[in-house]
Amino acid sequence: MKAPIIKAEGIYKAYGEVEVLKGVSLNVNESEVVVIIGPSGTGKSTLLRCLNLLIKPDRGRIWLNDIEISAPYFNSNRVREQVGMVFQDFNLFNHLTALDNISIALRKVLHMKVAEAKERSLQELNNVNLLDKKDLYPSQLSGGQKQRVAIARALALDPQVMLFDEPTSALDPELIGEVLEAMKTLAEKGMTMIVVTHEMGFAREVANRIIFMEHGNIVEEGSPNEMFLHPQILRTREFLWKITELYGKHENK
Amino acid sequence: MSQNLLILINLIPLLLKGAVVSVEVATSSLVIGLFIGLFVGLGRIYGSKVISWFAILYITVIRATPPIVSLFVLYFVISRYVNLPPLLAGILALGISSGAYQSEIMRSAIESVGQSQMLAARAVGMSRIQAITNIILPQAFRLAIPPWSNEAAQMLKNSSLVYALSIPEILRQAQYVSATTLKPFLAFGAAAVIYFILNFGINRGLDSLEKKVKIPAQESVYSISKSRTSLVS
Repeated sequence: MKAPIIKAEGIYKAYGEVEVLKGVSLNVNESEVVVIIGPSGTGKSTLLRCLNLLIKPDRGRIWLNDIEISAPYFNSNRVREQVGMVFQDFNLFNHLTALDNISIALRKVLHMKVAEAKERSLQELNNVNLLDKKDLYPSQLSGGQKQRVAIARALALDPQVMLFDEPTSALDPELIGEVLEAMKTLAEKGMTMIVVTHEMGFAREVANRIIFMEHGNIVEEGSPNEMFLHPQILRTREFLWKITELYGKHENK
Repeated sequence: MSQNLLILINLIPLLLKGAVVSVEVATSSLVIGLFIGLFVGLGRIYGSKVISWFAILYITVIRATPPIVSLFVLYFVISRYVNLPPLLAGILALGISSGAYQSEIMRSAIESVGQSQMLAARAVGMSRIQAITNIILPQAFRLAIPPWSNEAAQMLKNSSLVYALSIPEILRQAQYVSATTLKPFLAFGAAAVIYFILNFGINRGLDSLEKKVKIPAQESVYSISKSRTSLVS
């Protein structure tokens, strides 16, 4: 049995008095799509950002491919070449074109030559169907386009794992679809993905495993079938019922 | 009337000579202030507690004293240990004074860029220094142009303070002319006009620089009121 590609044990993080993560552990296997759901402010984003060391957990250990990345003097910059992240607010570099947003990471982090970086960036833009927008600036793109560029930017570094932090929460309903399509394609290609989202449709269709988090703890986890049809814990049932009721209304419209 | 005109024609070259010195002083101290400001501003935001503390100390002290007082204190301190000609000492002193204000300009510009840009830069694997150099500063410099234009104009005006060190910039020349021709209004009036023209030129120049490096379609806080186009959705 191959070791999980990402392993986290006892992740604890507090900001002053407020305990955001209270000892979270999880394993993610290669090519698995894990969706994390739960009410806002329960530590889902924080957990994600601990996994690529953007946030340093107060306690706990994290392994990437059996290498302990949470070790004190580990070079966290190298981790982010292997673990890509897509943010809720896109966070594209505003002073750069779509193309340069992607190529700058290749040139500065992977030290690629300019021509090679350009070619690779064009490729990635093409994969998200935005080749014609390569010379536009982020402020000239729609939300969905920005997010797809952000996905292309993260993928350009050829990461092993992709983290998505509520990728569609800041988008118009009409634009959510194109981003979810891109994510679905990625999953079909075998990328290991950890996604924090409220999009239950995506979770049901694409996830291999769903984790429900609340108050800094994992309440329950299981396959989409188990979670949606036979949730064991009351709180999980409450949350899912509320969400699918909302979603159902949205769907039936 | 024609007598005044004659005097004016004769004093203009003298004042223009002074103008060259004023611009020299202003530009040099502005550049020194820029380097200090960048260093101190970055130190204040990204530096350790110690560095940050020193930065804040420097900024607080300079901003609390009138520039002419800073000029005298720094001039007499500097020329005690180093044998500097008054021009150089004056430029250095004004530069140190300007550095405090410029560091605050840089700090507010960097903070306006926002933490999420740094987050994204780190997320693609850049180191802190790479993120600052490639992502934060290019955006911060654009945001800093309007307040910096203000500082540039201020430095040109402050350059008149070095008249107290007997440096022959515009004000000193105007004083000389006023004393020899007994026509203070003409002398100082002409000086004021020259200052106006220089400042006007600086502001226009920096305005067009701002337009030139502007990120397309991006509305900044400063341009929202001026812009008549609707925001790109």
